[in-house]
Amino acid sequence: MHTTDPAFRPVSSLPMTSPLSQAKLPLLQMRGIRKTFGSVTVLQDVSLDCNAGQVHAICGENGAGKSTLMKVLSGIYTPDDGEIRIDGQLVRFTSPGQANAAGVAIIHQELALLPHRTVAQNIFLGHEPSRLGFINQRAMHEGACAALQRVSCDIDPRLECSRLSVAEQQMVEIAKAVSLNARILVLDEPTAALDDVESQKLFTLIADLRRQGVAMLYISHRMAEIMALADQVTVIKDGQRMATLSADEASVDRIVHLMVGRELSDFYPPSAARAPGADVYAVEDGRNEYVRDVHLRLREGEIVGIAGLEDSGKIDLARTVFGEHRWHRGRVYTWDGCGAARSPRDAARRGIGYLPDDRKREGLGLRQSLRDNASLTMRALAGPMADAYRGTRATLRIDALLKQVEVRAASLDMPVGELSGGNQQKVMVARWMARQPHLWVVCEPTRGIDVGAKATIYNLLRDYANAGGTVLMVSSDLVELIGLCDRLYVMAQGRIVAHLPRGSSEESIMAQAVRHDFDGPVVGEQP
Amino acid sequence: MSALPIRSQASSRRSVQLERTPVNMPMQFLRRNAVPITLILLSCAVYVGAAIATDQTTQLSLAGIVGLLQRMVALGLVALGQSFVIIGGSIDLSVANLISVSAVLAAYFMQGQPDAIAYSVVLVLIAAAVVGIINGLLVARLKVNPLIATLGMGLVLQGILTVSFTQLQGTVPSVYQQMAYGQIAGIPVAVIGLFALAVLAALCLTYTKAGARLLAVGGNAQSARLAGINCARVLVGAHVLSALMAGLAGLYLASWLGAATPWVGRDGGYDLDSIAAVVIGGTLLAGGRGSIAGTLAGVFIFATIDAVFNMLQINAFLGQVLRGVVVIVAVGLYTFRSRSHTA
Repeated sequence: MHTTDPAFRPVSSLPMTSPLSQAKLPLLQMRGIRKTFGSVTVLQDVSLDCNAGQVHAICGENGAGKSTLMKVLSGIYTPDDGEIRIDGQLVRFTSPGQANAAGVAIIHQELALLPHRTVAQNIFLGHEPSRLGFINQRAMHEGACAALQRVSCDIDPRLECSRLSVAEQQMVEIAKAVSLNARILVLDEPTAALDDVESQKLFTLIADLRRQGVAMLYISHRMAEIMALADQVTVIKDGQRMATLSADEASVDRIVHLMVGRELSDFYPPSAARAPGADVYAVEDGRNEYVRDVHLRLREGEIVGIAGLEDSGKIDLARTVFGEHRWHRGRVYTWDGCGAARSPRDAARRGIGYLPDDRKREGLGLRQSLRDNASLTMRALAGPMADAYRGTRATLRIDALLKQVEVRAASLDMPVGELSGGNQQKVMVARWMARQPHLWVVCEPTRGIDVGAKATIYNLLRDYANAGGTVLMVSSDLVELIGLCDRLYVMAQGRIVAHLPRGSSEESIMAQAVRHDFDGPVVGEQP
Repeated sequence: MSALPIRSQASSRRSVQLERTPVNMPMQFLRRNAVPITLILLSCAVYVGAAIATDQTTQLSLAGIVGLLQRMVALGLVALGQSFVIIGGSIDLSVANLISVSAVLAAYFMQGQPDAIAYSVVLVLIAAAVVGIINGLLVARLKVNPLIATLGMGLVLQGILTVSFTQLQGTVPSVYQQMAYGQIAGIPVAVIGLFALAVLAALCLTYTKAGARLLAVGGNAQSARLAGINCARVLVGAHVLSALMAGLAGLYLASWLGAATPWVGRDGGYDLDSIAAVVIGGTLLAGGRGSIAGTLAGVFIFATIDAVFNMLQINAFLGQVLRGVVVIVAVGLYTFRSRSHTA
């Protein structure tokens, strides 16, 4: 590590300055950062310090300017005004390479590893050990092993990255930063795609890096993480810094209040307004290449959650219900008596909706307008002639729906890719509300979106259930499953291992999700 | 694709020791290149079968096989350059017309004078490099879609050539034809040259920083940029290489034919054939993964198809049908294989 880390420098080796004043100088200082795009001011006079060995959390709704601030720090954008100091030295980055060289590394929300290259090649991308242009393969392999060891990760550096899980890829990204001797590490929603076990691993690693004197800027929407990890919390709203709180001052309610100006108590809508109605979808002893022993029953007016680790098969179960995968065995009951969905089109036509877990890849045409995206399914299933699902009347209906889901956009004709994640998700929700499905399968409905949009989507889902719809909700966020769902299934290793009632604790869900018995008993009774 | 339920076990099995575990290199090579190897064996079998069936056993002699290899040279050179461009996530449709330009310029500069060979070759290669630089800048700096940029460049070249061809008449000296017809130990110099260049290209791709950068830019330009790689420079480099290889192919054709026509490149169909050969070899059209050995395999397959149709005295245009089928089958096999890998 660098000798400039106060945590590592022996006190006796500081003849000129006292250890106190040395420790007081923050490793990173950002002062009065301003950034505008055209006439829009995205950041306005934002200042922020981070000491070596400290985790500084940055909170704010999507679109508040967190990511822009981090891009300014890592040289992707240059600020219009303001200064950045590292170790007290004024720096001015005009490219990501310069920021890297100065010890700033950023772990992006969307992981950017090259899928067809090995772990080692990815770790050393752009700074391969070489002589006369020829890569020193041995040095690269050993360097990669060392970097992976520093992040306590036992991946073989010769593996192709396409074969790693999301969590492993993230470890590789962090190892890459470590191999660059990064002293300032930006983590942009690192747990968005991780389950709880993987997140715990990441937190251990963060604690490790903290001990090694790395300064970390941590962006997340998950309050529990921020409360557990952060030494300081800065809240940004509309491009301005609202407050910087120390760990003692920070509380979830206070942070959320600063972010959105609203208390957390009205975050989740009240539970179901009435008792569940008739069966809508039921499977007995269902099985296919992804899941097995599935006993599932969904009734009118219910929101039923599916919890599980990343590889538990929960998404595959959702896809099977929607007809993307087929059931190979098992008795399937549906409300219309037509049996399991044979394809997504079949499902959509009969009234099963599907909100994919990866809205950018499976949901939206990013270059097309909000309106086109929202009306996609409705128009795809419409007849050949202009009717309520086509033509002007359909457009009016879509516009009304987009208004109802509270999309905030300059225009309904702008490309949906330019919206924040929360607004993009609302467009997805509107797309299916236009179909008014009987059964709505939603996967990770609030992944990577801000608190305000989360609350809107929870309310929309609850309203839909209260109006007689059925929601099957797959999520990695236990808190939202507990807060929103009427009951829960827990999946592990491709099968449903437990059925839990409303009000179950996070611990009881996790205990089931991490079960390793191949054929153990199913906990809890179905209604 | 989504993970299998038994993923957790798989991952623990995968996390082997970090120390050097012996990797079965030959097996790995076979598995990686299964499709090109199968296609090569298949086309060899068809070639031998056709030669025996039509009683043209001279095709199986050393001379016959050397002739087969010689058919590879022009397309092989272009396809090597094309490999670099495609691996970098771009494409070069201007190669065919650039070949014509190079061949015509070579003949014009030489005017049958043996002592003009050296500077003519240099001038032609410089001209080709300039075309490559323009292609690269259009794609990397102005962000013109590579398909459009290089197609447009090809049209420009063809137009210039058609207009000025009457002023660009010339012949190559007979010494220069040694480049195409000369042999060392019974093997044509040009074939040796092609394979030497291929080895060089493969080494560059696998073992140099430049190769790693090219693969990075093709795999994900944004992450390459964030890793501090100058994407524009890498892309321009790839386009210059492609243009240089097309220039070499033009020089070779001028030597082979003794004179040049402005249609030599277009009639050879080098643009689409070179792309097809690269794709048959297992290089992803989207970039980021590719193999030089595969490209050579693709070129070899095309050469045998031509030879076999020659032997069977079938209309050469039917050969196009077979080429098309081979390309589709090969790409289909890759997709099928990669799907079965992940499922």
